[in-house]
Amino acid sequence: MTASAEPVLPILLEARGLCAAYGPNQALRGLDARFFSGEIVAILGENGSGKSTLLKVIARILAPSAGDVLFDGQPLAMIQRRVTARRIAYVAQSADLVFPIRSLDLVLQGRAPHGRGFSADSAEDRQRAIEAMRACDVAGLADRDASALSGGERRRVFLARALAQEAEVWLLDEPTSGLDPRHRIDFLDVLVREHRARQTTVLLVTHEVDLALSIADRVLLLREGRAFASGPPGETLTPTALRDLFGVEARVDRDAGGRRRVVWIGRTTPEDGRPAG
Amino acid sequence: MKARARGPGLWLAAGALLAGCLLLGVSVGGVRLSPAAVWSGAGPEGETARLVASIRVPRVALAALVGACLALAGAALQALLKNPLADPFLLGTSGGAATGAALASLLGVSPLLSPGAAFAGAVVSSIGVAALARRGGRLDLQRLLLGGLIANAFFSAILLGVFSLASSETARTMLFWMMGSLADASPQKPLALLPYAAIGAAALLGSASRLNLFSVGEENAAALGVNTERSKAVVFLASSLLTGAAVAFAGVIGFVGLLVPHAARAIVGNDQRTLLPLSAIAGAALLVAADAVSRAVAAPSELPIGAVTAAIGAPVFVYLLLRTP
Amino acid sequence: MALAAGSFGVANRALRVAAVAALGLSVAAVAALGLSTVRCGRSGSSPSVRPPTPGPAKRVVALAPNLTEIVFALGAGSSLVGVSEFSDYPDAARSIPRVGGLEVSAERVASLTPDLVLATAEGGNRKGAVSALEASGLPVLVVPGGSLDEVLAGIELVGRRLGREAEGRRLMRALEERREAVRRSVASRPRPRAVLLVWPDPPSAAGGGTFLDDVLTEAGAQNLLSSRRGWPVVSAEWLATAPIEVAVIPDSPVNRPVFERAFAAGALSRGSIAAARVIRVDESALTRPGPRVFDALEQLARELSP
Repeated sequence: MTASAEPVLPILLEARGLCAAYGPNQALRGLDARFFSGEIVAILGENGSGKSTLLKVIARILAPSAGDVLFDGQPLAMIQRRVTARRIAYVAQSADLVFPIRSLDLVLQGRAPHGRGFSADSAEDRQRAIEAMRACDVAGLADRDASALSGGERRRVFLARALAQEAEVWLLDEPTSGLDPRHRIDFLDVLVREHRARQTTVLLVTHEVDLALSIADRVLLLREGRAFASGPPGETLTPTALRDLFGVEARVDRDAGGRRRVVWIGRTTPEDGRPAG
Repeated sequence: MKARARGPGLWLAAGALLAGCLLLGVSVGGVRLSPAAVWSGAGPEGETARLVASIRVPRVALAALVGACLALAGAALQALLKNPLADPFLLGTSGGAATGAALASLLGVSPLLSPGAAFAGAVVSSIGVAALARRGGRLDLQRLLLGGLIANAFFSAILLGVFSLASSETARTMLFWMMGSLADASPQKPLALLPYAAIGAAALLGSASRLNLFSVGEENAAALGVNTERSKAVVFLASSLLTGAAVAFAGVIGFVGLLVPHAARAIVGNDQRTLLPLSAIAGAALLVAADAVSRAVAAPSELPIGAVTAAIGAPVFVYLLLRTP
Repeated sequence: MALAAGSFGVANRALRVAAVAALGLSVAAVAALGLSTVRCGRSGSSPSVRPPTPGPAKRVVALAPNLTEIVFALGAGSSLVGVSEFSDYPDAARSIPRVGGLEVSAERVASLTPDLVLATAEGGNRKGAVSALEASGLPVLVVPGGSLDEVLAGIELVGRRLGREAEGRRLMRALEERREAVRRSVASRPRPRAVLLVWPDPPSAAGGGTFLDDVLTEAGAQNLLSSRRGWPVVSAEWLATAPIEVAVIPDSPVNRPVFERAFAAGALSRGSIAAARVIRVDESALTRPGPRVFDALEQLARELSP
């Protein structure tokens, strides 16, 4: 799938001159990008380059200030919210759960756009939720309070929710940040497995170049709210591109298994590196 | 975390609690009342009993409705704002209602019109706070809380000004009303409150499933297809309606909106479809019981009901404040 | 994750501040209640003079209307350089500069350079405000008024400080004689059970240990609330069921409509209080512990006679 720069897949989502502000900053400033059905796209860029904002606009958390996102060729704003919510699932970077909620109830929320008046806990809904939890290896956590789960467990619960939602697009905002190696591997295994089983389109915001190199079909590099480059990871994530994008000298090696690995060498500019977030 | 009780047993227990509190509320007070005497109404004793009942029954009914309104508004705001400390008191709605009524009283408007003035104040406060919170076309929840803070400061300044301008006697009346009072419950009051309560409750109960999504986060609700701006407006206005009506008829009674949903959540969890109606029932029971206490403790005087709820609520509030990360 | 946690931190902080502000609001309300209670509350404190100034006072500020009336009754009205907001009797008092009502302006008082400030233990003078005046070096005399005896003693005390001892004693004796005459006239009469309502909303009455309890009792009535100290707020239930025969209410243009509403539809509209005989007494005479309270005593005794 990584062979051609322009996969022969139908365009599912398209950003056209997309502008959006998140809080006080204009995060997207005329982004043009296309996403094809069934691919995993890793979205990379500096902090503030508009990665997360792009996901929020597609998830309809945020309305664009200009430009448009076309979904199946139709502007998002023209489609009923519930209709897009049945087809697009969003997994936030963090879920600050203030109130206790059972993991199963959290997964059942994925059925809300399908139910009447956002209420969905029919026997069928429950069945689907439990199946989704099983698929994500979290069925054993169904009765546990989600706010008491570890970060890795919670992210798999949210992924299970995306499954229960039966969405064809998954928007994942830094899904592996803060996970220990074991939870990271568990999460990515489930993600790739279920993506393949369901042929979903995955937009994955990340800071991990290695993750993009290992699981993405394509990468989209953002800079200052615009598309900087896009294409197959191996061809796009070159030392030159990484230097231009992050201001850091890097080398791309291959390990014994033939997989590409990025080796960071050092900063090229005196500019202060900001923490991830 | 176990699955919570949601069956008919829960509602039977809640109904029994409310019925018990209502019975207690009617029989307890400065004058002891035996239901039998009220029933028979014979002799001087029966006559007294009927007289007392004619004063007490509307009062108990008013207490129940006011308690239900405040608890329901508090529960809905907590889910909407994803914060267990949210309360109509904190968001400035009660302050706006109180100021509306106090200004009306200062301007010599008939007390019969003060409910209208309190409701107007609640709505003005809601609109003002919402306007402060509106940023880039959407209601920002953090700014909403800050707006409530500013509204509270603003309204308490106005109220203190009104107090200092009023004659000492009028200030006394306003002060007691500020502390919450069910003392002057005519039979018309609970009837007049009923339509407001019904409209507000219907709007909130109808939003229960959406509020479940809000209680995980506003972005969560938006991503799952909820028109969040509209939902926030509905919940905010319905809560203002309930709060304004409660303040208009019974003054400022704090902590019910905070205390009751917290206790109910500890019993049934955070599913708003259960939590909202249970909060309404428990709020009614709590205020009826608190009112009975306020009547019985210092008879023939009465403690201000707001002082009773604050005495119970403030320690719980501090506990929640310390526990919130 | 850091960003999200940070922003929720702001929300929580905002909420905490809001919480503290809300608590502040309730504290303010309670403090205001305290203020209003002090206004009506009886202070058992003995008269205090500080610091003692030699010779009769020539520039006097009266911080309550009953004190203004006492000074005028002693024939020393011309020595008043400042009076409280509500000093409306006698007419001559209306043209004297005001120094504030419930909240006295200490600056205004000081700027009048008084050599005597009269404060009341019964009226609207907060203890804190009085001690602030004392602390700034002003000679403050707190005049008692918690009973009719204290009212008389207060008149004599003020007379002494104004260099009008003879007038003070004379006035005191005259008032004492009128009081004695009332006592004699009611001695053999039946004593109707009564309440004296100072305000209808919430219904507040004169309890034991107040000068109005003395007025009610000496005028020949039996105060049903004698066993309650101070100024109890009573419930509508009690008012409807207690064996009240007579209700005494202070009458003024401000009070009248409020009482009328309470009798028509409020806390005074049911049971025994609604059926009780109502006696209206001029508010400014009845509720000010000054010379005119004896006018009120006589009127009440007359109207109470069967």
